Amino acid sequence: MRLLHWLPGRLLSAIVVLLGASILIFAAVRSLPGDFAQIVLGPLSNEEQREQLRQSFGFDRSLPEQYLLWLGNAARGDFGLSLASQQPVLDELASRLPVTALLAGMAMLVTIAIGIPLGVYAGTHASTGRGSAAARIVSTIGISFPEFVLGCLVVFLFSRFDLGLSVGAFTSPTTDFGRGVVSLLLPALVLSVFCVAATARTTRDAVIGVLVEPHIAASVARGEPKGFIIRHHVLRNALIPVLTLTATITAYLLGGAVIVERVFNVPGIGSYLVLALDRRDYTVIQAGVLLATAVFVIASLLIDVLTGLVDPRVSVAKKGRGA
Amino acid sequence: MTAVIRLEGRRRGVLRRSWDYLASFDGLAKTAMWTLAVLFTAALLGRLFGLGGSPTAIVGPRLAAPSLAYPAGTDSLGRSLLPRLLEGVMTTLLLSAVAVLLTAVIATLCGIIAGYRGGRTGGVIMRVGDILYAFPAIVLAILVAAVVGPGYIAALCSIVLVTVPLMTRMVGQATRLVAQRDFITSAVISGVSTPVIMTRHVLRNISGTIAVQGTYALSVAILVEGGLSFLGYGVQLPGSSLGLLVQEGTLYMVKAPWLILLPGIILVIAILAINLIGDSLRDRFEPREARSLE
Repeated sequence: MRLLHWLPGRLLSAIVVLLGASILIFAAVRSLPGDFAQIVLGPLSNEEQREQLRQSFGFDRSLPEQYLLWLGNAARGDFGLSLASQQPVLDELASRLPVTALLAGMAMLVTIAIGIPLGVYAGTHASTGRGSAAARIVSTIGISFPEFVLGCLVVFLFSRFDLGLSVGAFTSPTTDFGRGVVSLLLPALVLSVFCVAATARTTRDAVIGVLVEPHIAASVARGEPKGFIIRHHVLRNALIPVLTLTATITAYLLGGAVIVERVFNVPGIGSYLVLALDRRDYTVIQAGVLLATAVFVIASLLIDVLTGLVDPRVSVAKKGRGA
Repeated sequence: MTAVIRLEGRRRGVLRRSWDYLASFDGLAKTAMWTLAVLFTAALLGRLFGLGGSPTAIVGPRLAAPSLAYPAGTDSLGRSLLPRLLEGVMTTLLLSAVAVLLTAVIATLCGIIAGYRGGRTGGVIMRVGDILYAFPAIVLAILVAAVVGPGYIAALCSIVLVTVPLMTRMVGQATRLVAQRDFITSAVISGVSTPVIMTRHVLRNISGTIAVQGTYALSVAILVEGGLSFLGYGVQLPGSSLGLLVQEGTLYMVKAPWLILLPGIILVIAILAINLIGDSLRDRFEPREARSLE
């Protein structure tokens, strides 16, 4: 029940961060040079149309009022109309959300399934020389591969040679889930490489940190089997920094998805955001950036709660996100 | 240990001292430093003496494979790729280095103030950092590009905004640890003024953290610049950066794979080298004891 002591404060800080981010996004788009109505309607619009638009956007009111109006609508899911297609932004985002969610989920699964065992191995063999050096080099190469380079490389290999999987043939997971998963396999793998390496590095450091603690020496002295020590004493303690890293990885997956979706031509939220930037579609940019930020803030809040449940030592002082 | 190095340093010259310092790194980090030095020197030779030819002149057939005449092949317009690669390396390294320098100055200043003074100012600095930290890197870069417009400035601003929050937080944490130590209390009691404590006592003791975080920020900077240029909102033509070259390479991927492979590989090597140096610095400044179960 220690959780109840710090949870309200943590919730409040999440709300403050989210509000701050929304102010930043609003201010960024409003600080665009030129008349916003002119940007929206283009150079061929007349004064009457512009005046009408200013009123419909609430531009005749004060800036704080405009911000509250925008925020209130956004909180109810109304992000306005896309400037380019004149469709509600929410509908377009909603139709693309499953794709990105599946892509990020698959990458997260790969990250956990490979990154943690790799890190545990590297950490428990840290002082044995060759294995540790190999693990260090492999994980450093992993975090040094920008996903656009890796993605292009994969696209090149798979389009030049027949390797069983095709690139560019996308099936929506909402129409056929199985084929959707298969078509997202390569993008998800490319997306996960950085996260696997980062998780392995963090797990390795955490395991090394736990191994030097006296209670491990005590277990060894008691003659407990090695596998048991690793599972019961090392892993439980080492998983806490790894859990914290998951929040950073969520943010990374959201950002990386933008590039990977572009490279593999996947119609998700990321490629929609880039398309919006190409078309100067500011309502979509506002909504997309706000959505990505909100997902990250909520994810890190959940992970903090989870960490608090797993680790009773987490106190108010330690509740900040480590990275 | 510091004292010993400084005594030796007085007898030897500054150059000799820094050379000895660099020579004390492990083999992997030294290889990484040499790699970066070779890349930068090649790019500098390209800039100063036109090594490899002009980056904009059309010199040969289109999409010619690497040969003696065109060591890195030619691109879709018949320009030799080598000088464009060298220019790209220069742009990428220089842009990232300038941005990280800016980041280091801002983050050190904010981090020391937040960590040493704390209070309301520190709280505000940390909160602003939290807010910026909530934006995924490339998403923040897209927002910046939307406002500033594509180009060098967008890349520079994006890198600074992406790297400042984490570095400020790390500097703040390191400062808090130093601020608790006895010699700081002793300096305060002796009546040393706060700015002097911050620069002479705190800054010196967190310089390791700044070096480590700065190195990692440099690798993030190259990633962000590459990603933004790849999306078409970083460095613009006729300029050249590694990310932009990779993006150009995607168009002729099957016919002329070297156009994408060469800039891609150089990009990976540069980031890898910087990360290895960062790891080595971290091992040096934040040593940890390793023990195995054997």
